[in-house]
Amino acid sequence: MRPPHLTARRLVTTSVALVALLVATLVAASLVGPVHVSLARALATADSTDAVILFRTRLPRVLLGAVVGGSLAAAGAALQALLGNPLACPHLLGISGGAAVAGVLALVAGADTVSPVVPLAAFAGALGAIAIVALGARAGGRTTPHAVLLVGVVFNALAAAALMLVNALASYTQAQGVLFWIMGSLSTQSYGLLAAAALYGLVGLAWLGVHAQDLNLLAAGEEGAAQLGVEVERTRRAVFLASSLLVGAAVSVSGMIGFVGLIVPHLLRLLLGPDQRLLLPASFLGGAVFLVWADTLARTVLGPVELPVGVVTALTGGPFFLFLLRRHLRRGLA
Amino acid sequence: MTALLEAERVSFAYGPRAVLSEVSLVVAPGELVGVIGPNGGGKTTLVRLLSGVLAPRAGSVRLRGTALTAWRRRELARRLAVVPQDPTLEFPFTALEVVLMGRAPHLPALGFPRAHDLAMARAAMDRLDVAGLEDRPLERLSGGERQRVLLARALAQEPEVLLLDEPTTHLDLRHQAGIYDVVAELRRTRGVAVVSVLHDLNLAALYCDRLVLLAGGRVACEGRPAEVLTPAVLRAAYATEVYVGTNALTGGPIVLPRGPTTT
Amino acid sequence: MTCRLLALLVLAGCGAAAPPPSGGVPARIVSLAPSITEVVYALGAGERLVGVCAQCDYPEAVARVPRVGGYLAPSVEVTLATRPDLVIAVPSPGNREAVRAIERAGVRVLVVHDRTLADLWASMRAVAGALGLPAAGERLVADVSASLGAVRDRVAGRPPRRVLMIVGHSPLVAVGRGTLQDELLTMAGGVNVAGDAGQVWPTLTLELVVARAPEVIVDAAMGSEEAGRQLFAGLTTVPAVRSGRVVPLASDTLFRAGPRVPEAAAALARAIHPEAFAG
Repeated sequence: MRPPHLTARRLVTTSVALVALLVATLVAASLVGPVHVSLARALATADSTDAVILFRTRLPRVLLGAVVGGSLAAAGAALQALLGNPLACPHLLGISGGAAVAGVLALVAGADTVSPVVPLAAFAGALGAIAIVALGARAGGRTTPHAVLLVGVVFNALAAAALMLVNALASYTQAQGVLFWIMGSLSTQSYGLLAAAALYGLVGLAWLGVHAQDLNLLAAGEEGAAQLGVEVERTRRAVFLASSLLVGAAVSVSGMIGFVGLIVPHLLRLLLGPDQRLLLPASFLGGAVFLVWADTLARTVLGPVELPVGVVTALTGGPFFLFLLRRHLRRGLA
Repeated sequence: MTALLEAERVSFAYGPRAVLSEVSLVVAPGELVGVIGPNGGGKTTLVRLLSGVLAPRAGSVRLRGTALTAWRRRELARRLAVVPQDPTLEFPFTALEVVLMGRAPHLPALGFPRAHDLAMARAAMDRLDVAGLEDRPLERLSGGERQRVLLARALAQEPEVLLLDEPTTHLDLRHQAGIYDVVAELRRTRGVAVVSVLHDLNLAALYCDRLVLLAGGRVACEGRPAEVLTPAVLRAAYATEVYVGTNALTGGPIVLPRGPTTT
Repeated sequence: MTCRLLALLVLAGCGAAAPPPSGGVPARIVSLAPSITEVVYALGAGERLVGVCAQCDYPEAVARVPRVGGYLAPSVEVTLATRPDLVIAVPSPGNREAVRAIERAGVRVLVVHDRTLADLWASMRAVAGALGLPAAGERLVADVSASLGAVRDRVAGRPPRRVLMIVGHSPLVAVGRGTLQDELLTMAGGVNVAGDAGQVWPTLTLELVVARAPEVIVDAAMGSEEAGRQLFAGLTTVPAVRSGRVVPLASDTLFRAGPRVPEAAAALARAIHPEAFAG
């Protein structure tokens, strides 16, 4: 049973514990893979296969997994509070659809999968989607969660149709590439890309963090929150934009990885309580840990062959979540 | 008698449907004004206009002489607290966390409650007899306990003006009296101005300094309870025959319904 | 007027399900795969083609033959409208329903496979047999076999080199064991580093490429050359990268189980053992 309210001390101790867990995860995951790597050799000789594997193929990928997982989970936590729905998922917003369509169009137009053109195009698509959904959901100067959800769902449906059209018109191998991109992949060698994603992730998290208390008060309803001093419209816009930035950046660099943004914040809320001042940073850190492990599994469990990471997040996240949920239901706490 | 909160000829409509027309209401420090009337008369809408979450189509609502629209939300929240009729909370906040939300307008954006805030919150909960429910999630409390927690939250806000929307709906007899005792104490010691929507005309008679009777979106009658709670006025407003007697203890009116009007 | 109308009706009625003319040798052939088209022309029966799939582009003469839809999605209507005696198809991801529909309409369908070299010989013989040209079929098999043998001889005696052949950049899909391409690779003097992946088209993790250290990387993917080079550029310990042996290879002949397979084998051999072709 968790303490009745959040203190600064509890926030700090929980965050420190999670950071420690993340660091341990990053180190461990970098050392795990289908190929055995010796850390000593890698550090000793910059020219060894160990060093190349560790620093060129594994480390960027592991770090990207942390950034993407954290971004998706933090966005999920904020959105669940904003939409008043503990089962909301960041892909619901429609931003992912916009990013996917733009990225896929770039792919099919012949952009190299290795150059930054595809992520840049996808990010542009995300920004476009943000604009469209934000404007579409705004009526009479207000952006209600209901409207955002509706417009997001419609936008996603349109995006899905566009993707199917592109797939139908593209060649077979192109279609395979498109499918792979959509299913999500953290495979990268680029520290530049990683740095960009990390920057967006941290900026987004900080922006959300500033509104954490407002998000808490929104739980009392739109009017309740206003009566407690929240500028509801401004808060909603800010949270929507910050979440969209997080999701857009994540999808642009790694495709649509599902489940992280839904499961991690929901799970952590069951364990830590709904206070966003703790839940937001905890979700970021927890999402990072979860995705890094999921990706480690994805690139290791079948030997030389890789599984799409989205498959692993669903197959591991789902049952574990069900188990925890049932425990809480039985204890009568959920 | 200076008005602390004043609504002047406010009108409001939901789309084409007019809900309030030219309603005026004033409340001074230490006063308890009761808003009564049949269902659909616009009472809850009036509370929302008075708290500033809705803007009137015509007329104005002013706190300390300044229109509500001119106040910043946080400033307003430090002076004006609302206890809504039917609270819903999607997330499992504990009772203490909910009451602490009342301190939010007094704390910086990400500020954590200090000892002083915790003490206030706990004192408020104690006053409303919900102290032992601190760590229970709000959704697992009974309707009455929830209502009292929300009132504790309003108290924690340290308001000058308190707006109550049917605060006794789920409360048993003991707590019904208790609520208004707490309210009376606030009025006495801190000069808090209170506007309360009431269904129970006898409670209204017992506790309110003045009554405003809303029917069909207009003020049908206003004044002291004895002036408003008369068979003629009530028949016109509620389309019901009533018996009005005298409360032996207080000398005020007692109202008993006799049945719908036959004409 | 009525006579002509009647004649038209009779012709139309006969059109959809034309039985083979007496003698049994099909005169109107539809090919639903580029490899089959090339085999038919190599057998000397190209003029019998009345319909080919859209991707059929070799030899030049095929440009004059009407199209009946794509390799992945042939059009049943258009195919039937050409009134074929025989439709030859290769199983593709997506044409199964179409082929079944053509069969149900009463047209004779021959399905051949294209996964391995064994499939290649079998399909050549089967097509030749169906066209009534068994001798030509045997000759074709012998010719192609000999050409392949010539490539093998060219690199004989040289120690085989470790090769990674990829068909996709992202995902990084490699050629695995059990494919025609793998067999050609071996014939061309290479050892497939992805041969033990356990899948026919394995999606590899990048670190595998570093660990297996191929000496030659054959890039048969659809992306640009630059993309392929960039993908491996950071893996500085891989011999193929260090010596600049990331070789792009046009996919046409490599992925068609047809008579031009020796060209693909030769191209592979040139990529894997360039010194054998220096002179």
